[in-house]
Amino acid sequence: MTTAENKERSTSQVLQKPARSKLRREISRHRSVYLLALIPLVYYIIFKYVPIWNAQIAFRDFMAVRGVTGSEWIGLENFRTFVDSFYFWSLIRNTVMYSVGKLVISLPLSIILAICIYECTKPGLRKVVQTLAYLPHFLSWVIMYGILLALLAPGDGVVNDVIKLAGGKAIDFLSNVKTFPWVVLFSDAWKEMGWSAIIFIAALMGIDVSLFEAAMVEGANSWQRVRYITIPAIMPVVVTVLILKLGTILDAGFNQIFMLYSPQVYSVADIIDTWVYRQGLLEFEFGLATAVGLFKGVFGMMLVLFANWLSRRLTDNSLF
Amino acid sequence: MRKLKSILLVVMAVLMALPVFAGGSKDTAKAAGTPDDPVTIDLWFGAAVTEAGMIPDDWVGYDIIREKLGIDLKLTMLPSNESDQDVRIQAAGAANELPDLFMVRRPVLTNLVKQGLVAQVDDCFEKMPVRTAQQYDASSIAHTTINGHVYGFASPGAIAKNEGLLVRKDWLDKLGLEIPTTLDEFIEVARAFTFDDPDGNGRDDTYGYGAFVETDATLKGYPGSRLWPIMGAFGVEGLWSFDSETAGLSIYKPEFYDFMVTLKAMCDEGLIDPNWLSYKKDDFRAAWKQGRFGMMYEQNAAYAATANYAPFDKNFPDGEWIVIDAITGPEGHAAIGAYDMNYRIYAVSQKAVDAGKLDKICELLEWMSSDEGYYLLGWGQEGVNYVLDENGIPVAGDLGDNAFTGSKGQVVTQLRNMVFYNGDVELASRYPTYVTEVSGKTMSALTTLREMQAKKWTSAVGSGTMPTPNADVQRYYDQSLAEFLTGAKELTPANWQAFLDQFNKIGGEAWNQAGIAKMTEDGLIR
Repeated sequence: MTTAENKERSTSQVLQKPARSKLRREISRHRSVYLLALIPLVYYIIFKYVPIWNAQIAFRDFMAVRGVTGSEWIGLENFRTFVDSFYFWSLIRNTVMYSVGKLVISLPLSIILAICIYECTKPGLRKVVQTLAYLPHFLSWVIMYGILLALLAPGDGVVNDVIKLAGGKAIDFLSNVKTFPWVVLFSDAWKEMGWSAIIFIAALMGIDVSLFEAAMVEGANSWQRVRYITIPAIMPVVVTVLILKLGTILDAGFNQIFMLYSPQVYSVADIIDTWVYRQGLLEFEFGLATAVGLFKGVFGMMLVLFANWLSRRLTDNSLF
Repeated sequence: MRKLKSILLVVMAVLMALPVFAGGSKDTAKAAGTPDDPVTIDLWFGAAVTEAGMIPDDWVGYDIIREKLGIDLKLTMLPSNESDQDVRIQAAGAANELPDLFMVRRPVLTNLVKQGLVAQVDDCFEKMPVRTAQQYDASSIAHTTINGHVYGFASPGAIAKNEGLLVRKDWLDKLGLEIPTTLDEFIEVARAFTFDDPDGNGRDDTYGYGAFVETDATLKGYPGSRLWPIMGAFGVEGLWSFDSETAGLSIYKPEFYDFMVTLKAMCDEGLIDPNWLSYKKDDFRAAWKQGRFGMMYEQNAAYAATANYAPFDKNFPDGEWIVIDAITGPEGHAAIGAYDMNYRIYAVSQKAVDAGKLDKICELLEWMSSDEGYYLLGWGQEGVNYVLDENGIPVAGDLGDNAFTGSKGQVVTQLRNMVFYNGDVELASRYPTYVTEVSGKTMSALTTLREMQAKKWTSAVGSGTMPTPNADVQRYYDQSLAEFLTGAKELTPANWQAFLDQFNKIGGEAWNQAGIAKMTEDGLIR
C-alpha cells in the first residue's frame, strides 16, 4: 500500500468517525482527570448500580436459598404490606416532618454559621469556632445520646436543674411527645451544622473580594454586604444542596431516631427506616425492606426532578 | 505522574476485585478430616467478654483441635448486642452465607428455618453422649424444636431466677422502717425514700424505686422486667400467663389494668426515679451506684460481683442492699418475676450439612464437653491461666494478667459459654467470695444468687418458644401502655377497653390465639 493510499484511507476513516475520534482525543488529552474520575465511577458501579439488579427482591417472596431470581414473583404484594401497615400514614408523616424540619432548621443555621465564620476577622477565633462546630459531627449517636441524657434527663439533667431552680417542673424531654421532635431536630442541627457549613464556606471563599471592596467604598455596611453580595453569591450552592437533600427526603436519620426513641414517643418518633428495621430486617422480610427502599428511592428521584425543574424556572439555577 | 497513575490503577483493580472476594472462600474439595487434611469449620460465637478481644491466633486450642479432631477451626466473634447479633446473622442468611456453626436467638432461628437455611440436627444427640447428658435435656431440645424437628443445640444460658428485689437496708434503718412485705408497705417505703432524705445529705435527690425499660417479645412485655416485683403483686408478671384459667397474654387480665393504675400513681407521685423511661441499662446501673434510689430489681452478678459492687462500696461504705421477699398485692398475689429457662442456641447451617460437615461439628461439640475441652475453653491451661484450689475449683491464684480473670487470660476463655452449663464448679469459680476493698464487707454473688432463687417466682417456662407479633402490633402494645403511663392517654376503664379493642383488631387477638394454641400444643398450660 502506497503512502498516498494510506493517507487517503486515514482521511476517510477520520471523516467516517469524527465524533469517536474527537472523544478519544478529548479523553487522551484529559486522561489524568478521567483516570481520577474512574475511581468513584467504579465505586458507583459496584456499590450502587450492580445492586440495582437485586431490587427485584421487592417484587418477590425472597428466599435466600432460592436466590434472587429463584424466589417466587409476587408482584406488588410487598408494597401492599407497607401501604396497608396500621401506621403507614404516621410513618410517612413523621419521616417527612423530620426531613423537612431538619432542612428548615439545619440549612439556614449552616448558612448563618458559614457567613459568621467567613466574616470573622480574628483568625484565632475563627479556627476555634470552626473546630468546635465540626467536632460533634465526629461523635456517634450513641455518644450523643449520653450527652443528651446528661443535659435533658428529668431527674438530674442540667437543663431540668435550671428549670427546677427557676421554680418550674422537670420535663422529660426524651419521653414527651411534645418535646421529642424538637430534641431530634435541634440535636441534629447541633451535630451537623458545622459539617454542613463547609460547603457554604467553600462557596464564600470563591466570591471575588473586589466586590466587597467596591461595596465598602460605596458605604455598604456589613449587613448590606451580606444581603447583596454574600447571599446571592452562594445561592447556586444553596439551591444545589437543597435539591440534593430533597432526594433523600424520606431518609430522616435512622441512627439518630433509633438511639433516641422509645415506646413513649413512638407516635412522633417512628419513621419509615425504624419500621423497616423492625418489620423488615428483624423479621427477615427482606422483600418488604427492599420494597420500601425502592419506594423511597423512586419518591426521592421524583422530588429531585421536580425541584430541579422548579428551580430552573424560578431562579435559573439547577443541577442539570 | 506515572507513579500516581500506577497507584490509581492498583486502587481501581482492588476495588473491582472486591466483589469477587465478598462471598468468602469456598471449599473446593471435601477434606479428609485428618490433621494433614483438616475440615474447615467456620464458627460464629458469642464471646464471654466481648470487650476483652478476640482469641489470639496462637491459641493452643487451635492446634489441639486440628491434631485430635482434624478440624481447622475458624472463629468469628459476634457483636455483644443482641440486635446487632440478629442483624449480622440475618444479613448472612439473606446472602446464603451463614457459617457452619453459629449462635442465634430463637426468633431469628425461626426465620432462618422458614427460609430453609438451617439444618435439622435430630440425629446428632446420640453422637454426642457426654455433651447431651451435660447440656441437652428434654426442655432444651424442645426449645429448638420447630414443626417436629430439632434445629439447633440449646445449651443452658443465663441462670434462671438470677434476679431479685433489693432494698437499701441502711436507708430503712435510718428512717426506722421495716422491710416491706405488702404492696401498701412497699409504696410507703418508696414514699419515705423519696421525701424523707434517707441519705441525710439535705437534698431532695433520692427516689423510692429505680428501673429502666427492659423488654423482649416473648417474656418481658412492656413496661418490662424491672417492674416485675410490682406486677407480681397483681399476678401479671410475664408477657404470657400459662395458668389454665387465664392462659394467654397477661394484658387481658383485669389485674393488668389495676397494676397500670398503681404504677401510674407511683410515677405521678414521683416515687420512681423519673429517668426510668430514658435510662438504658448502663445508666440505671450507674444510678444505683450513685445512691439515687433505695429499691430496685437487679441481677445477682450485676449487683454483687466484685467489679460491679466496688463503685457502690466506694461511694457508700455504710450502704447495704438486701434481697427481700416478693411483696404481696391486694388479692394476695406475690412474685419476684416470671422465669423461663434460658438457652444459648448454636445452629448448623444447611450449607455445612450439604458440605458433609455435620459429623465433624458433632465431634467438635462432644470434645468441647470432654474434660480436656471443658477446662481448656472454660478456664484456659492449668498453671498458665488457672490453678485448682483445695476443693478442685479453678481459681486465678497468683497468675496475674494471664489468669482467666485477667486481661490476657480472658481472651483465651472467650469460648467458655459454649461449654459452661451452670454446674457447681463453674458457679464456685465464677462467683468467689470476696471482701470489699473500702467497707470490708464479705460478699458473694453466689450467695446472692441462691437467695434470689429461693424467693417466690412464677414459672413461664416455654415463653421463649411463643409466637411473636408483627412490628405494628408490638408497637401498638408498647406505645399504648407507655402513653397511659406518661399521661399522653388518660388511664380510665373506658380508654383501657378501647385500647384492648383496637389491639385485638390490628392483630393482638390473633397473636393471643396463636399463643394459646402453641401452649396447648406444647403442653405448657398449668
